[in-house]
Amino acid sequence: MAGRRAAVRAIDWAAFAERVPPNQRAMYNALKTRSDALSARLAALPEKPPAIDWAYYKAAVAKAGLVDEFQKKFSALKVPEPVDTQTAKIDAQEQEAAKTTAEYVQASKARIAQYEQQLQKLRSMIPFDQMTLEDFYEAFPETRLDKEKYPYWPHKPIADL
Amino acid sequence: LSAPLLPSAPAALRSLPPPVTVGVLHTARLLHTTQQCSAPLPPLPEKGGEVRLGLIPEEFFQFLYPKTGVTGPYMLGTGLLLYLLSKEIYVINHETVAAACILSVIIYGVKKYGSDVAAFADKLNEEKVAKALEVKNETIKDLETAIEQEKKEQWRVEGRSYLFDAKRNNIAMLLETNYRERLLTVYNEVKKRLDYQVAMQNLKRQKEQDHMIQWVEKNVVQSITPQQQKESISKCILDLKALSKSAQAAV
Repeated sequence: MAGRRAAVRAIDWAAFAERVPPNQRAMYNALKTRSDALSARLAALPEKPPAIDWAYYKAAVAKAGLVDEFQKKFSALKVPEPVDTQTAKIDAQEQEAAKTTAEYVQASKARIAQYEQQLQKLRSMIPFDQMTLEDFYEAFPETRLDKEKYPYWPHKPIADL
Repeated sequence: LSAPLLPSAPAALRSLPPPVTVGVLHTARLLHTTQQCSAPLPPLPEKGGEVRLGLIPEEFFQFLYPKTGVTGPYMLGTGLLLYLLSKEIYVINHETVAAACILSVIIYGVKKYGSDVAAFADKLNEEKVAKALEVKNETIKDLETAIEQEKKEQWRVEGRSYLFDAKRNNIAMLLETNYRERLLTVYNEVKKRLDYQVAMQNLKRQKEQDHMIQWVEKNVVQSITPQQQKESISKCILDLKALSKSAQAAV
């Protein structure tokens, strides 16, 4: 009886719900309903079945050894606990998720660094009314007109005007 | 997220012609006489140098002030003009008249509408700068929201332990439920069998009782002879007569 109860950890569904992104909300709802159904089923079953009143049966049943035999066999009976096959898979999934998470977090941090860099550049720019054209081309190199490739005005393909 | 943003920013900026840099070079501004340049360059002055009579820079008056006081340059100018006219170094002819008319019209026009035109040009410039500024601000804001979103996603991802805990809980609950169901089944089966035995016994006893009662009744009925029947019927009639007499009396 001691080993069978794998600890049912209390889950904070509210905090869980906060972290679910909106596009996975349906999956979260499905999981929650399934969990709730399971816990309802569990709560409906008694932990131990009621004890059989052997004394009454011994007095009531006329046949001699029937009740004694039943009692002996009943107390000797060991109901096997169901074998847990899936927890290992879940643990493996968790490990994999940890790995992909680390990768994602790293990529996300790289993106954040990139954004920060651009933000820094934009914030430290001199104000537009103090810029000369040269300064402008330095700040936004994409706007520089390529006078070698397009020597005639407007120095860029007509489609880009 | 930022990649589609960046081309749009300079595209908007590219469409603006560069702003006009106003003003005569102030002497305080460094001329590029040497190779070194203090970058970033100091901003261009807002207004040009001071002039008097629209032509003569203020520095000339300041230059002459110590020697000749306030009226010095004016005296110099008047004297120079009279000298040129009297000595006929400058000859008055029809071109002088034309020049006078043209200049007076020009000066009148500039004095009357100059400020308006300047304001209009400034407004055009302002609009360009404002548009560029708006684009820049929007880009900054978008970058900031992007950073926030990334941070939020990172926070979300941290909650993955909830998911796996929930799954493990489900499994544990399933196992527990299954085990309890099995125990219950065992109990129910054993109880059913015992109850069956008891019920069987009860049924047998009841059947025996019923049969016995029936048999006893049958025998009793059989044992009633015709003689006894006649006697019992006449007794009943007598009893009834007696009863009816007493009943009449009561009424």
